[in-house]
Order: sequence, then structure tokens, then C-alpha cells
Amino acid sequence: MKHVLLTLAAGLAVAAAAAGISNEFYLRVLFNIGVYYLCAAGMNVLLGYAGQKSLGQAGLFAAGAYAAAILTARYGVDPWLSLVAAMVIAGLCGILIALPSLKVKGPSLAMVTLAFGVVVEKVVSEFTDIFGGAMGIYAIQPLYGPAQPFTMTHWVWFVIALGVVTHLLMRNLLTGRFGRAFLSLQADEIAAGSVGVQVYGYKVLAFVVAAVTCGLAGALIAQQNQYFNSDFITFHLSIFIMLVVLFGGAGSLYGPLLGSVVLVCLGALLARWSWIEHFVNGALLLFALYVMPRGLAGVLSDLRSRFTTKPAVAPAAQAPSGLTPFTVRRGGDALAPDSALLTVTGVSKAYGGVKPARDVSFTLKTGHIHALIGPNGAGKTTMINMLSGIVPPDAGAISFRGETMIGRGVDDICERGLGRTFQNLRLFKDLSVLDNVLLGQHRRMGNGFFSSLLALPRARREEAKALAHGRAVLAFLGLDAYADAPAGSLAYGLQRRVELARALATEPWLLLLDEPAAGLNPRETAELGELLKRIRDRGVTILLVEHHMDLVMAISDHVIVLDYGEKIAEGSPAQVQADPRVMAAYLGTDEEAMDHAVA
Amino acid sequence: MSATYLQALLSGLSVGGIYALIALSFSITFTTTKTLNFSQGEFVSFGAFVGLSVLLLLSGTFDFNAVPADASAGLKFPAAVVTAGVLVGVVGIFIFLLAVRPFAGKPGMSWVMSTIGFGIILQSLGLVVWGPAVVNVPAPFGEGVIRIFGAGVRSQELVVLVSAIVIMLVFDQIMRRSLLGKAMRAVAFSPQVASLMGINVTLVMVGAFVMSGVLAGFAGVMVAPISTASLFMGLGFSLKAFAGAIIGGLNNPRGCIFGGFMLGVIESFVGLWHSEWREISVFVLIILVLAVRPDGLFGARTVDKV
Amino acid sequence: MHKRNMFKMAAAAAVLTLTAGTAFAQEIKIGFNGDISASPSAQSGQAGVLGLQAAIDDLNAAGGLLGRRLSLVVRDDLSQPPRSIQNMSDLIDNERVSMIIGPTNSGNALAWRHIPNQKRIPVIGFSGSATDITKPMAAGADNYMFRVSMVDRPQVAALMAYVKRNPASKVVGFMFETTGYGQGGLRDMQEIAAMHGIQPAATERFAVNDTDMTSQLNKLKAAGVDTLVVWAQGAPLGHLLRSMEKINYFPRLLTSWAADNKSFYDAAGPQLAERAIFLRTVTDERSARQQQLFDRVSPRLASTSSFPFAAHAYDGMMLYAAAVRQAGTIDGPKVREALESLQGRYDGIMKAYERPFSRTEREGLLASDFRWTHWKDGRLVNYGDDVVRSLRQEDFRM
Repeated sequence: MKHVLLTLAAGLAVAAAAAGISNEFYLRVLFNIGVYYLCAAGMNVLLGYAGQKSLGQAGLFAAGAYAAAILTARYGVDPWLSLVAAMVIAGLCGILIALPSLKVKGPSLAMVTLAFGVVVEKVVSEFTDIFGGAMGIYAIQPLYGPAQPFTMTHWVWFVIALGVVTHLLMRNLLTGRFGRAFLSLQADEIAAGSVGVQVYGYKVLAFVVAAVTCGLAGALIAQQNQYFNSDFITFHLSIFIMLVVLFGGAGSLYGPLLGSVVLVCLGALLARWSWIEHFVNGALLLFALYVMPRGLAGVLSDLRSRFTTKPAVAPAAQAPSGLTPFTVRRGGDALAPDSALLTVTGVSKAYGGVKPARDVSFTLKTGHIHALIGPNGAGKTTMINMLSGIVPPDAGAISFRGETMIGRGVDDICERGLGRTFQNLRLFKDLSVLDNVLLGQHRRMGNGFFSSLLALPRARREEAKALAHGRAVLAFLGLDAYADAPAGSLAYGLQRRVELARALATEPWLLLLDEPAAGLNPRETAELGELLKRIRDRGVTILLVEHHMDLVMAISDHVIVLDYGEKIAEGSPAQVQADPRVMAAYLGTDEEAMDHAVA
Repeated sequence: MSATYLQALLSGLSVGGIYALIALSFSITFTTTKTLNFSQGEFVSFGAFVGLSVLLLLSGTFDFNAVPADASAGLKFPAAVVTAGVLVGVVGIFIFLLAVRPFAGKPGMSWVMSTIGFGIILQSLGLVVWGPAVVNVPAPFGEGVIRIFGAGVRSQELVVLVSAIVIMLVFDQIMRRSLLGKAMRAVAFSPQVASLMGINVTLVMVGAFVMSGVLAGFAGVMVAPISTASLFMGLGFSLKAFAGAIIGGLNNPRGCIFGGFMLGVIESFVGLWHSEWREISVFVLIILVLAVRPDGLFGARTVDKV
Repeated sequence: MHKRNMFKMAAAAAVLTLTAGTAFAQEIKIGFNGDISASPSAQSGQAGVLGLQAAIDDLNAAGGLLGRRLSLVVRDDLSQPPRSIQNMSDLIDNERVSMIIGPTNSGNALAWRHIPNQKRIPVIGFSGSATDITKPMAAGADNYMFRVSMVDRPQVAALMAYVKRNPASKVVGFMFETTGYGQGGLRDMQEIAAMHGIQPAATERFAVNDTDMTSQLNKLKAAGVDTLVVWAQGAPLGHLLRSMEKINYFPRLLTSWAADNKSFYDAAGPQLAERAIFLRTVTDERSARQQQLFDRVSPRLASTSSFPFAAHAYDGMMLYAAAVRQAGTIDGPKVREALESLQGRYDGIMKAYERPFSRTEREGLLASDFRWTHWKDGRLVNYGDDVVRSLRQEDFRM
């Protein structure tokens, strides 16, 4: 609430200052700052949070501008209505540009967005009957107040109001569930899926948010200027929008504002030596990235933290006692102990000649600790990946709590109560330990886009619940001291435990642990064993892939042995240990070796 | 009418040769470093002007408004090609050290922006030195039109086409046969393993950017007599070359070359049909290809290791 | 926190510069807004600045205007409309110039012409030739846009008259470049062709950076086009001729005046360049006054083919000075009225101006001032043939 009042006060102060300015040039500079802030605020969600490089923002800017231009100038639609329509149309274009992102990543995605920008540029300049090409569209209707069309001062007031609203909405959206989910995409899409974030959905959402604000900015420019032509839409515009975000500070709420203020003012100051501006923009783009990777906002916050002493860390809010069940909100009832929780039937997978799974079948029982063992290359990790939905099996059936898991997305499987960790840690390294765990809660939170955007009571309630639960999980695993540390900064063993905490926070029925003891010393390994038993006692079934045979044999109720993708044995630890095929697999088929092993 | 189609094919192949060269230059850095130079277009323009400057110096003038008609005669043009290749190759070292290495391999793909920034700086420098004007560059073998079954083609277009093919064949052999090629493929496969095998990974990566720069500079000088030199000429070429590379498969050099040629020919034939659809069709094509085959027509599938 | 601080700083900076901006009012400031660095059209911008500076120097040497010195304020718009709009506001609201010469790109003039009209500051175009630039914002509204330059419409009118009169022109084709320049020209071509009842057999387009137009030309050839009217900038026009040579197809070629550009001559080569016929405001067969200005500015001209822009800007400035003297003030509306009713005669670089503008006439140079031109041995010389000589006033329909 304090923040809202401060922001409103700041907005009012600037608006009041603007009222006193009679020089339209300064008003225009303010207007441009506002417009580029809007572009950048949305772009920040896409680039700074979701980590998607879009080089085609000019195309979305064009969508908004042309929508407003054509609707008002050709069809006489009310300017205010057109402004709203422009945002909707730009949002739809955002979905269009986001669709390829479901298929391609990295440089190819950057290329697709760039191609989108180029296509839009070509379309608006070549299809002159509709878009007027470089000759443009005249008589675009400006927004109007009660009495008359907006004056320059009105326009400035209006963009300040829009800026304030946008800032507050973005803050609501990005400081909670949605902000974390966007950040998780940037850090690691596979891990994001495994904690239940709908990766594609959130990507599309990020594109749409960026598209709506860019479209709004385009419509404002077109309506203010009352004329628009295809020369406005250039690759340079896309680059500039990106530069505003990067220079100001991607991933910071204040970055877009800082970036637009500094860069627009710089442009105005350098107008008589425009070629320098070009040069300066290039230099900023290049050097800002490594001199200040978090942009101006990062530099300022570093400065501030240097000059203000941190308040002593308050003891974490009273951690709920260890007895709090940490499966609080998942749907469905617990199955009876010893009943089949997950059934794998005839699953096969092949990568060319390599067959990490050949007709494998087994059953995991509720309340047990199962272990999946086998020599290197036996197909253990592939099995975990198939169970968690990351890799689709070529054949066979997987049924979890009576439902088939084949064809379901990773996030969907997580939602149904299957959590996992990874062999090579996949933590969200730059996020705090607490945020990692809160991401585990992502799918259990009930606040949707609009309740988050508007910070409705529901969103606040859900956030508080998730926080309480996250803290409980951290306390359970003895991680509460590290809650605010970036996950990547912890020691390796602790990082493994954070990953376990994150998986537990998804409130799973079944926990898949891929070599949880890798890199742990014997004492830590023993502790882990105790911990896993306590987790099992809380009603979470565990499937463990592990090379530490001591650990496996000590805690497992049931062991499955894979070799070259085939299940060669299963049973109690003792049964498996005695199985000659298992020994052969581990020690080679040499008779002598087998004799030796048996002896 | 068949002459018309032959004309379209020849025109498409000659411009496709340039696309293919630049597409190859993208592929070289992508396979070894998993990064690309997003300002390769500026490198092409830069190469063209370096070459032009050499031509002028060798002709004893520095007046860009009066390029002598014989400026490219004799050994001057090869000298320009070599100088541009070398100089742009050197710029390749700089872009690697300044804009790529600090960010390569880190999440966030900051190198996309840093290479764009580098390109903007390069272009600004070019504008200061050479100005924004369009400059005509004479072709080394004259401006005459050669007729092949009724279709006309200029000597320089054939030169570009032939030299592009030769360079690609040579490159292909280098990659497959030589120690350097093997080192590059090893680094492409896994920098860590390559480094364990005693390969100087940084050197190989620098080498990739140098080769990529050499190709861009070469392409710039070669295409200048066809397109006329301007500091803005490179963007269009490089965008389409990139498109060709993506269509062919960024991680497959041969696929990139094919993609470049294919794009040139498609563009030319679409022009026969509806010229306003020419460039739009190219980019719509990329989006379609990527939707069906995200790694390009000939690209090896990339699998995320979990 | 940061947000508030930034706002405060921006507001404080704005107030500071605001008070500084109004401090001096003795000089008469003349603004220039156009591309002088960023695109190939920057050459015309640079030439315009040279001509404008020459005119200001001459006026200052003769004691200034109304006893006040003149100074020039130059803003580079990089050919980008948003920048051009911002520059316009900078010049008018911030620098408080009393007149502006510019821009280099027609599209940018269209993007901001409402600003000088609202602020009542006269603008004289020296380069952008799009017909619409000098149209009033609304029928009967005061119009502050003037021009001393080539204009598309009368150019097209002359070319179409040629087509109509030429007995050898039976099948006409149009080509244009997909920029604002090409598209504006195409519209004029289509409208005037319709007035003559000329029906183009084919209309083809190409992009400004295309180098091979054989596909489009083959379509025109297939349609039997014997006379081709093309609206495009210099370099692509040159490439068009090269493509014509490739398929050995040479219809009668009438082009926009951009063919006077050195980039056209260079791209097409000396022989092919001679095939284009176009109109120009000055040929290389210069008058004494033109030669005088040419000698003055040519050492600093990037290309001699951009000389007309210097001459246009020079005349534009001098016509403005005459209007200020007549009005006795630099007040925008009064100067506009004076411009619209200039008394006496001004011997300019381009011609002797006698009442060049009126409330409806915004063009300092008219079709009768344009010269049929072609390249001959590397020079731009007057062009004449039987068709040109047979043209009558009534053939020019606009």
C-alpha cells in the first residue's frame, strides 16, 4: 500500500511539473519517455523475466499503431475504443509471434522474431491499399477529453497515468507467482516444467504482455501524431526497445523506467549530432552488458546496498513445527498403503541403435522406497525422464494412480503428484532458496493471471499460504538458514538438498530422485538415508536412482535392476544382491568373476 | 518463355551464392561456439568498403565519387579481396573477444545483443570514414553481358557463383580432412572433451570467428560490383543468409549452403509470379520450416541432455 | 525509490533548460531538419545545408534581415520519422526558429507537417518531391508548407504527356520502388494516366536494395510493353537498366528525376545511363548564377549531382528573406501572407521568381521550369526530340 501511494505521488508530481511546462519540446520528450517506458515495461517481462529474446518488437508496435490508425481514420471508430482494440490486436499478434517459440529456442527463436518484424515491415510498406505504405495514413483521430482533443499536456498526463498503472500492475504480477514462473523459464525450462510451470503457456503469456504494451505504445504514437507511415517500423526500433530494457536493467521493475528516461533524454540531447547517438547506442548495447549486466537499476541497487547497512536478518518467521504435513493442497486421496501407485508396462525407448529401455515393466507401491539400479548406461535416467514426461516412450504404458501418463506434459504430470530431482542439479541458481521452493508450490497455488495482476485478496492469500508451506519444507530439511541465499551460491550438498526441497514443495505422491547422494560424503549420505525414510513416513513414495549401494541396500524396500535397457531383476535388496544376473551385469559375464563375487 | 525461367534460375543462383557464403559463415561460428554474429551484415558492408578503399588506393586516388573504370583491373581486385578478407577476419577476433567470449555459454544469450551492439559501432565508424553514399564498384572482368541460351548474366555474377562454390568445396574438405577441421568438429561436439584432448579451445573459437569474418569480407567485396557498395547493403544479404542457414540447418554447413542457394532461387521465382510477395515469402518460409523441423531441413536434431 | 528520484531529476532538468532556452532573441534563427548522415539521401541533405548556409552568409554580409543577424540551426533526422518529428518540435518550441528548410525524405514531411501548421512557422521544402507535402491540412486552411524543388505531380504530368504524344508508345508499363518515394510516384502516375485514358499493361515493383529485376522485366516484356515509366531512386534505377541489358529488353524509358543522381550513373554505367529520359530543375548547362553558386559550394559537395538541392535551399532562403522584408516582421502568419503575395521580382539561382506563391500555389518551381534531361558523355544535358518539341500546354494534365 505504501508503494502504491508513493508511486501515485511520484506520478502526480511529474504530472504537476508537466502542467507547468509550456515548451512543447519538453512535453514531447516526456511523452516519448512515457511511450518507451510502456514498450520496455512489457518487454522486460519477456526479456528480463522470461528470458526470451525478441528482435521483432517493432512488428507489435506496428500492430497497435496500425490498428488505431485504420480503425479511427478509415472506419471512424471512437479513438478510445480504438486504443483498446489496438491492445487486443497487438496481443493477438503476440500469440502469433509466440507460437514458433513452442518449437524453437535460442538463436533460431531470435531469428523467427526478427523475421516476424521484417515481415510486418514489408507488409505495411508493400500492401499500400490497406496500410498506406510509406505515404502513410492521415487523419488518425486523437484521444479526446470531455471538451476537446488532447493537447500535448494532456498526452503527457495520459502517458504518466498509463505508466503509473503499468508499473503497479507489473509489480503485482512480477513479485509473486507469475514473476517466479517467468524467471524459472529463463533459468531452466526443463526444471520449470518439472515443478509444474506450464512452460509454453507462460512463454505465450510473456509474449502477449510484451505485445500489449508495445501495441499500446504504437497506438499512442499514431494517435498523438495523427499520422503514421511504414518508415516508423524499422529494425532499429526493435533494437532500441531492447536496449532500453537492457540498459535500464532487465529483470528489474525500475529498469525500464531508468532506461527510457536516460536513453530518450540522451537522444534529445544528441539530436544535433545524431550519428553520435547511433554510435553511443551501439556502445551502450555492447558495454552495458558486461560493465553492468543488470543495467542501471543493478548499479543503483548495488550503490544503495553499499551505503546502507543491511538490517540484521530477522529470525525466520516461527517455522511451523516439524509435524505440519507438507502435503497440504494436492487433490485426491492417498491410496491405501502397499497398493500400486505407479505401473510401468512394456515400456521401450530407442535413440537410433541405443536402446535405453526394452520392454520394461514394474510396479511402485504406495509408501515404499524403491530403488532403480544398474551399471552406467543401463537406462535409469531415461526411465526417470519417461516417468516424469520429459521423454516420451516409444511403446508401452505408464499408469500413475490409475491414470495414464503417456502423452501428458511434464507440468501436468507434476500437478498429478509426481515430483523429481535431477542427476546434474537443475536448480534456478540465481533465485533464492526460498523462491526455488516457492516455485515448487507453483501448481498448488490457485491465483490466476488477473487476480495476480490486480493483487486481489485471493492472490495475497495464496502467496501467504505458499510462503508458510515453503518455510515448513525448508525447516523440515534444515534449510531455513539459507532461505534468502541464491541457490547457486550454496555448497554442493546443500544444493542437492534444495532441489529435494523444491521437489517436496510440489506436494508429490511419488518422488523420483536421480542420484541424490552423488557428490555427498559418507556422513551426508547417511543423513540423506534417514531423511528419505522420514519423507517416506510422511506418505511420499520414493523411487531412487543411486550408485551408492550402501544407501540403496539400507533404505530400499524394493530394488529394480536395469542393464542395457532391460529389467534383469527385482525384489528385496537381499534377493537382488543374490541374483547372479545382477552380479554379471555389474562385474561382467566372466564366470570367474561371478564365482568370485558369489564367494 | 524457357529463357525467362533460365534467367530466373541464373539470377537466383548468383545471389544465392552470396547468401550461401554468408550462411556458411554463420554455420562456422555456430557449430564451434554455439553463438552467431548478429551483425554479420555490417561485416559484409565493412568488407566491401575495405575492398573498395584498396581498389582506390591501388588506382592512386581516394575519391569515392570518382571510382576509375579500371579500378578493378588486373591484380587489384584480388588484392582487394584478400585485404578485405584479412581485415574483416581481424575484426572477427575483436568481436569474439569483446562481444562473444564474455557471454558465450552463459544463460541469457547476451551475445545476441552484444554482437548487435558491436555491429552498430562498426557501422557508425564506417559512416564516419566512408559516409553514407552508395558507391559503384567496377567489376574485374568488365560489365559485359554473357548470354546463355537467351538468358543474360554478368561476368561478376558468374565469378561470384564459381568462387562461392569453390570456397565451399575447399571448406568442406578442410572440415572433413584437415587437423584444423577435426579440431573444430571436436570443439563443436564438446569444448570440455576437446580441451582434455589437448586442443586449444579458445584458439579454435577465435579461428572460427576469423573464418567467419573472412567469408563475410570476401562476400562483401565480391558482391559489391553487382549490388554497388553501401554501408547498408549488408543487412539485407545477411538476413536472407541467416534465413537460408536456419532453413538448411544451422549446425550443418552443407545444409546452410543449400539453404542459401535455395533461398536465392525461390526469391527469384516468386518475383516472376508476384514481386510484392518476394521477401515476405522468404520469411514466411522460415517460420513454416521451423514449425515443422525446428533444426532446419538438414540440421541434426539437438537433444536437451537432462 | 529510484523512480521518484528519476522523475524529480527529469523535472528539474526540464525546468532548468526551459529557462535557458528563452534567453536570447536577437538573432533570427533558421532551422534545417533533414538527414545529413544516415542514409544515401544524406547527400541531398548535406547539399541543402551548404546552399542554406551560403544564402545566410550572403544575407548576413548584406547586413542581415531587419537589422538582425541570421543563424542556422541544423538537426539531423537520420531519415527516421520519430526523430524528424522530435527535431521539428526541438526547432520550433525549443530553438524558436522562424523558418525551417527540410526535410530530405517526403515521408518525414508528411509525418510532421501538422506541427508547423499548428505552430504557424513557414517551412520551405528543398528536396522531398511528394505531391502531398504542400497540400493544406484541411480544405481552405492556412498552409505553412512551401516548396522550391522538384514536384512529383508535374513531373509525372510531363512524362505522361510524352507517352500520350509519342506515336511509338503503344503499350505502357509502370514500375516503382516500394518506398514512400516510389509509391507516391505510382499514385500520381496512375491518376494522370487515367486522365489521359492510358491503361498500363502491367505494373511491377521492386525493393530499393534489389539488384536484379529481370523477373519483373520479363513479365513486362511478355506483356509487350514498349514504353516504361519508372518511379524509383537513383541506384535501383541503375540496376533496372543493368537488368534490362541482361535480358536485352530496352523499352522507351521515362523515369523519376532521381536518375540525375550520380548513384544512378555509376550503377548503370556510362552507356546504359544515357537511355533514361527524365526532368530536372538544373542541367549541367548552367546559367551564370548557377555556375557562381556551384563554384562556391562544389568543393564541399559530396557529389556534384546533388547541386540542385543546394540551389533550391538557397532560393528558398532568399524567398523567405524577401517575404520577411515585405512583412517587416518574422511573425509566422504575416510572413506566410507575404510569401503568398510576394511583390517585385527576385533573380534567383533557378530562375527569376515573380510572385512565386499564392494562397493555393505552393510550388516555387513549376512544370515550365523543369528541363527534359538525359545523360550524355557523363554530363546531364538538355534532352530534345520530336515528341518533346511537339508537347503543348494542354498535354500537361494534373
